[in-house]
Amino acid sequence: MPTPRLPAPGSRPREIAALLVTVGLLAACTSGASAPPASSDLNVGPTIIPSGPPVATPSASPLKLVVGLGYIPSVQFAQFYLADRAGYYRDAGLEVELQNKIDPDLVTLLGQGAIDIGSADGTSVIPAVSQGIPIVYAATIYGTNPSIVFAKASSGIRTAADLKGRKVGIPGKYGSSWIMLQALLASVGLTPDDVELVLYPDFGQGVAVQEGAVDAATGFANNEPVQLELSGERAVVLHVDETTPLPGPGLVTGRQTLAAKADALRAFVAATLRAMDEIAADPQRGLDASVAAVPDLGQDPARQLAILKATIETWKNARTGAPFGAIDRTGWQASLEFMTSLGLVPNPVTVDQLVTEELLPR
Amino acid sequence: MSAPAPAPRGTALGPRIAHAWLPVLVSLAGFLGAWQAIVLAGDYPPFILPGPASVVARFVRAWADGTIAPHLATTLVEILLGFAVGGVVALLVGVLLARSRLAERLLSPYLVAAQATPVLALAPLIALWFGSGLLSKVIICALIVFFPVAVATMVGVRSVDPRLVEMARSFRATRWQLISKLEVPAALPAILGGMRVGVTLAVIGAIVGEWAGAERGLGVLINLARGSLFDIPLMFAALLTIALLGIVLYLVIVLIERRLVGVR
Repeated sequence: MPTPRLPAPGSRPREIAALLVTVGLLAACTSGASAPPASSDLNVGPTIIPSGPPVATPSASPLKLVVGLGYIPSVQFAQFYLADRAGYYRDAGLEVELQNKIDPDLVTLLGQGAIDIGSADGTSVIPAVSQGIPIVYAATIYGTNPSIVFAKASSGIRTAADLKGRKVGIPGKYGSSWIMLQALLASVGLTPDDVELVLYPDFGQGVAVQEGAVDAATGFANNEPVQLELSGERAVVLHVDETTPLPGPGLVTGRQTLAAKADALRAFVAATLRAMDEIAADPQRGLDASVAAVPDLGQDPARQLAILKATIETWKNARTGAPFGAIDRTGWQASLEFMTSLGLVPNPVTVDQLVTEELLPR
Repeated sequence: MSAPAPAPRGTALGPRIAHAWLPVLVSLAGFLGAWQAIVLAGDYPPFILPGPASVVARFVRAWADGTIAPHLATTLVEILLGFAVGGVVALLVGVLLARSRLAERLLSPYLVAAQATPVLALAPLIALWFGSGLLSKVIICALIVFFPVAVATMVGVRSVDPRLVEMARSFRATRWQLISKLEVPAALPAILGGMRVGVTLAVIGAIVGEWAGAERGLGVLINLARGSLFDIPLMFAALLTIALLGIVLYLVIVLIERRLVGVR
């Protein structure tokens, strides 16, 4: 078999030069964006002094924390906006940088230490830790998993068993919604083969349900069903929590960051949970903070308030009634077993490796 | 007792093979060595940059347990169909462009604009219009293959010696005979050069198409490995498969070229 011939084969020195350039590019790509931070990189700001107080006082230079929210700006992040705007982070001696953007590599960046703490899905933490990514789930944001299946009430779908033989829209066979769908179907003895899956890679399954192109679809409790109801159509929402309480999105940090910045992270978690409590008591405060942070959200305040109220409902853990932030270890164990059965946990892990209560208020 | 057989004349097979493959092996060893050196020097964990040994081990395991094969089959079908469709249309349009200045003036702006538009931006729209099945992947591959093959065909046909064309005309060759017996064969080296580029671009087209929405394919496997399974060695194994696929397809065109027009 001949070797690949390029249109203009180079001489040996040129081949060596090309190889060197390739290696250089590889090195540049990896060292720039992906190099693990040196220990000194973790101690951003002058307030980290080994023998000093764990959290800087407001008068000291604030400690910078990079927070990855992993999604576009939305009222669903009201607790972060309120804590930031109301000065809860500042009062805790923190300078918080909220990175509000879609970031598919958030989990990897948390493990690498490039982002200090972020909102990531619990179902991502399990395979990530199993693959050796050093992260840990430190506080629950969504006590009820927001990933759901929804349908029009007029579809006749009332329970997961009613999905048999129906058209179900999904964005793809990956991610938390795919795991949730499998868990939901398994809870009534069904598999994805028992439904007709329709792919909506552009996440257009909400519109597809509205227009009747599919009977049901995966979505988020605080998004598509709310939009459906606002359009005047009653929605049915199927949660998986009763059978397999999959961990919802929560605050995740890297093990290395946790060791280096535990006190700052603890202060961040406390300030965020305080904001959640206040928004739950008065959703308007959350909306006001969100509009102040993201003025575009003020264009349709009624819709945003409806989304925020639905979000607050998913913050609560109806099953355990635990306070915001609390980690449901029983639920994690059940999820771990379910995801292991799906083959998503290649290397065995324990709940202790996945979660920590170290950052929660005592 | 017969005399021992004389040694074959010319260079022996072993040294010839060694001469042909040694630079390739040295280059490969250098690449793998540099890769491993970067991993060691940067002390990178496998989820940032796995070393070549772990990628090769994962590659072998993924082939052994049947993880890669169905994805490869899907991607290969998309590439072959897209390359065939894009190549045939490009051949026809290339001849038209070469023969008609008016056609060139009318079509060229659109062709260049289509080429300049990133396929990454077009792919989601194509998936929206034609669905997330095979058709959208074939269209994306065909689009990306079209330009290099069309331009190579146009340049190749135009570079045919005008005296040969004159001679064919003097023998009263029809327009079809002129194209099929003279222009296209004479332009074959240039056309196949365009196809070499086109077939490697078709691989990219298939992967981009799969990223815009698909159930199966090497692009899907990359996304699954990176975003759901966090299995970075598997992602690299999929990338290695894509690279090998590109090399094999390129070699196929080279072999066809050698068969049709000889070594260049």
